[in-house]
Amino acid sequence: MTEANVTAAKSEAGAVPENWKPHIVALVCNWCSYAGADMAGTTRREYPANVRMMRFPCTGRMSPLMILRAFEQGADGVLVSGCHPGDCHYVQGNLVARRRFTIFRSLMDFIGVDLKRLHFAWVSAAEGHKWAKVVSEVTTSVQEAGPLPSFEHPEGWGGIDLPEMTGSGPQELDEQRLDAIRANLRKAASEVLTTERAGVVIGYGSGSLPDQTHPVLITKTAECEKLEWGQGCRNNLGAYVGSALEKHERVAVVAKTCDLGAISGLIREGQLRRDQLLVIGVQCPGVRDGSGLATKCLSCSGDPHPICDLVVTVEGVQESCEDPSAAALDTPDARDEQIAYLESLPHEERWQYWQRQFGRCLRCYACRAACPLCYCSTCITDKHRPQWVPTSIDHPGNSTWNIIRAVHLAGRCTGCDECARVCPADIRLDLINRKLSLEVERQYGKIGLDPEEKSALVDFRMEDSEEFIL
Amino acid sequence: MSRVGVFVCHCGENIARNVKVQEVVESSRDIPGTVVTADYPYLCSAPGQQMVIDAIEEHDLDRVVVAACSPQLHEPTFRAAAAQAGLNPHLCEMANIREHCSWVHRDAEQASAKAYQTVVAAVERVKRSRPLDPIEVPVTKRALVIGAGVAGIRSALDMANAGHSVVLVERQPSIGGNMSRLSETFPTLDCSQCILTPLMVQVSRHPNIELLTYSEIEEVSGYVGNFKVRIRRKPSFVVAEDCTACGDCAEVCPQPSGNEFDMALSSRKAIYIPFPQAVPSVYTLDPDRCLNSKLDSPTGFRVLACVKCDEVCKPQCIDFDMQPEFIEREVGVIVAATGFDMKLGQQAAECGYGKHVDVMDGLEFERMLSASGPTEGEVRRPSDGKTPKDVVFIQCVGSRNPEHGVSYCSRICCMYTAKHALLLRHKVPESRAYIFYMDIRAGGKGYEEFVHRAMEEERVMYIRGRPSQIIEEEGKLKVLGVDTLSGRTVEIDADMVVLAAAMEPADHGEIAGKLRIAADTDGFFKEAHPKLRPVETLTAGIFLAGTAQAPKDIPDTVSQASAAASKGMEMLSKDFLERDPSTAHVDESACAGCFECLAVCPYGAIERKQLLDAQGEVFREVAAPNPAMCEGCGLCTVTCRGGYIDLEGYTDEQVFAQLGALGALREVIER
Repeated sequence: MTEANVTAAKSEAGAVPENWKPHIVALVCNWCSYAGADMAGTTRREYPANVRMMRFPCTGRMSPLMILRAFEQGADGVLVSGCHPGDCHYVQGNLVARRRFTIFRSLMDFIGVDLKRLHFAWVSAAEGHKWAKVVSEVTTSVQEAGPLPSFEHPEGWGGIDLPEMTGSGPQELDEQRLDAIRANLRKAASEVLTTERAGVVIGYGSGSLPDQTHPVLITKTAECEKLEWGQGCRNNLGAYVGSALEKHERVAVVAKTCDLGAISGLIREGQLRRDQLLVIGVQCPGVRDGSGLATKCLSCSGDPHPICDLVVTVEGVQESCEDPSAAALDTPDARDEQIAYLESLPHEERWQYWQRQFGRCLRCYACRAACPLCYCSTCITDKHRPQWVPTSIDHPGNSTWNIIRAVHLAGRCTGCDECARVCPADIRLDLINRKLSLEVERQYGKIGLDPEEKSALVDFRMEDSEEFIL
Repeated sequence: MSRVGVFVCHCGENIARNVKVQEVVESSRDIPGTVVTADYPYLCSAPGQQMVIDAIEEHDLDRVVVAACSPQLHEPTFRAAAAQAGLNPHLCEMANIREHCSWVHRDAEQASAKAYQTVVAAVERVKRSRPLDPIEVPVTKRALVIGAGVAGIRSALDMANAGHSVVLVERQPSIGGNMSRLSETFPTLDCSQCILTPLMVQVSRHPNIELLTYSEIEEVSGYVGNFKVRIRRKPSFVVAEDCTACGDCAEVCPQPSGNEFDMALSSRKAIYIPFPQAVPSVYTLDPDRCLNSKLDSPTGFRVLACVKCDEVCKPQCIDFDMQPEFIEREVGVIVAATGFDMKLGQQAAECGYGKHVDVMDGLEFERMLSASGPTEGEVRRPSDGKTPKDVVFIQCVGSRNPEHGVSYCSRICCMYTAKHALLLRHKVPESRAYIFYMDIRAGGKGYEEFVHRAMEEERVMYIRGRPSQIIEEEGKLKVLGVDTLSGRTVEIDADMVVLAAAMEPADHGEIAGKLRIAADTDGFFKEAHPKLRPVETLTAGIFLAGTAQAPKDIPDTVSQASAAASKGMEMLSKDFLERDPSTAHVDESACAGCFECLAVCPYGAIERKQLLDAQGEVFREVAAPNPAMCEGCGLCTVTCRGGYIDLEGYTDEQVFAQLGALGALREVIER
């Protein structure tokens, strides 16, 4: 769809009423922007009356959920305003918030929200003139953007063909070499159990269909023969470690390269202890998705990562002792081209693309169940007081759920793609996750595998970029 | 169901001119939960407040919304009125329809619509407010003062004289700080030592002051009223109680070193007393200079190559095996008075500092002028010991120069340079003093007169401009520059050049980090508010004094030190402190224990709490914010993905309801 078509479609969908005035919600910090707005009043600086203000102690208290709720409730635009960097009443609240909103804003842009609706500003208590100017600019900008588009995608819309993903994938392993790896893996597992380095080995057992596996928990050496290895080993077994630890003091887990990020994340977030864990990294042939390799495998070498305790290859079993701080996930990804393509389209088309995707969501929460990093005992979607995420399977609720899921994984997701694999509605959750990982990486550096590192979104630097902030 | 009263203020004409108050009052009647609405010309007046109080009693209201001016102005007023009527003050909410509405929107329709919507949001919010009581925190009745320069000394003495115990920590072997190095002080020219040493002696003898010199702060934990401080007392290798300061040890010590107190213009021995009036008057053995090897031993000496000091010490107070001592103290308040250093950066180097010995900084010249200094107060060229005739003083070296130094003005240089020139003229009557300046900042009492005295009585030559070059030529320093007032080039064959270098904070983030207080971009500790809370920090219970906060002269330093002391005593005089109850709360049953809240908290207020099962075994660790430390910023609430942390006063439910009220009423705008 060309840009001319988009404009045509927009005017068909319903012309903007002549006297239409935007409705804008402003979330402001008590110490700076609220007082700045007071100053605008004291000095009688007139500005448009479309903005409704809500007072917060700090930009750090403002959550993306609140912005989403404002849009859901019919706001056409949202303004977030706080103290200039270095002026925070709470030392660093605005600096952490700056990171959060940088990432949130890039997600909103990616799913096609017109950035003319979403604004961020630093206004100090002395800057009454700036407050008046910011509100005027924001009002003009939202006025240009027009009423918030419907969450429903138009019928008969042709959709978007994304470029095909390519990549060489990991080194091919023939049946003979796979057999060798399998034998080495079984040997390693059996040794782990005999030497009592762990009470249980979590691995893959063969499934009912060829090329399918399911997770198995092995506690006896004799059972080690059940361990499978091949292109059917899809699950991220990191998600099973927590429950295994309820029965065993130490757990060994078989891991592909793409599973390690999640394991590392679980350690970082206090869900696992490194000393409770023995990671067996295995040389991976890539996993099969339908007829070909899974997307995540296209740009992966398949080599086990240095964060593992044991490394299983065709050659044998090695103890690994490399420095995890040196490790980082591979950067290039087959999806990056698709992301770039989507980003090259007008935001209206992206909005339609994603609303169609989200529209399919069944709210089955399989994505949540499969994600190793979704470990909250009660998910924010299941909270009822207040009900931030509408539970009914309709468009605004589906959007909010999919957006907030992605926001909660930003800076943490390490691309195991389990969510996208299990999604029965084929929503491209992997694209959203990848987009946010890229954004975090671009702004704040790589999402490393080192469990000791602070994750990017609870950290800050004074010099973090803020080019979008008014 | 809540019983809310909505009161709308006219503020004379201030609100009523642009907001149709009657309309707002009438529409507000229909907001669910509202039982009474009223308006009044001046709600903040005594009868206005009485009206609110009467209505609360008459209609048995349990929530109040006052639609008037900014809560920054009158929230305390109306909350107090609510409290007077027996309502918890946190159940009174304000809707700002003056600053945010009538004063900024001329269109009455739009302003009225906005005012109404603001009231609705406030009603929805206050319906979900919970009564909150201030948090009471017990107070440890002891103060810690970090740094014993004149600021720390003054603070400590003020608090000790009022009867509070004080722990005074100084990292140098003697107290006194930079002021003890000064010769005479502007503008009165009284001798610095003469006014400071009596205070130093008072400190050492004061029954309420515990003086810990040669000690550093290791760790500070806890919170206002209840800080725990770990102090490391460095080994001086001399038993302080026994030392008589006879000086026999220093006499025999073979190992000389530059004396830091004299800015290395004189020498001391490895075992030394920094200056004769030092407090405490005891010797210290500098392990870095002593001949005895401390190889393989982090503390104490391993191999004794020289024991001369020990041999001559009659009271036998040399102890080569002395170890660092760790002292723990509980204190209620902390005063940070860590002082300043001279910043000799690129610009000082361009002026030849570090290259020509006859180029010195202000503090070095100060020592030279001091009667207790290396030259006993005589001005002599360091290179040949001769009395200089032409001395050039350069102001703003490094200051007011963001490209090659610091952007701020160091504030004292104009005055001390005038003093230097004046003292030079007194001591060497045949000398000539030249001062290169950008402009003269002499804002204190008697300062302008002092500068004029230097200019007119002492004929000090003031040249407006910066020297462009300083070249060494035939044993002299040729200073080239332009007098920007006359436009003429200036060339002076100087015997000495004195640089008024910038002041920089002595603490480079270390103490600030341990205290969890903010520093500005230049490293000076940041005050809570530059005008209204100039000696407080944003961390409750920690106060600032002296040049650690910003460059300042002695009178300002002493004033601020007394102010910090009085702020500290305000807390120490209470048995319990009251804190804002707007703090974070965790739903322990749901907390997953990721502790990202702990990582993000600026105050270290989140603790790990172990939950025990029926057998007393730990089954889970959860986050537990300490209400005495929580400042209520809410960073943790958003960090918690499951939404298990909420902030009193700004709860999720309140925010959610407000957002609903603001959105659901969009037809109001279109009306």
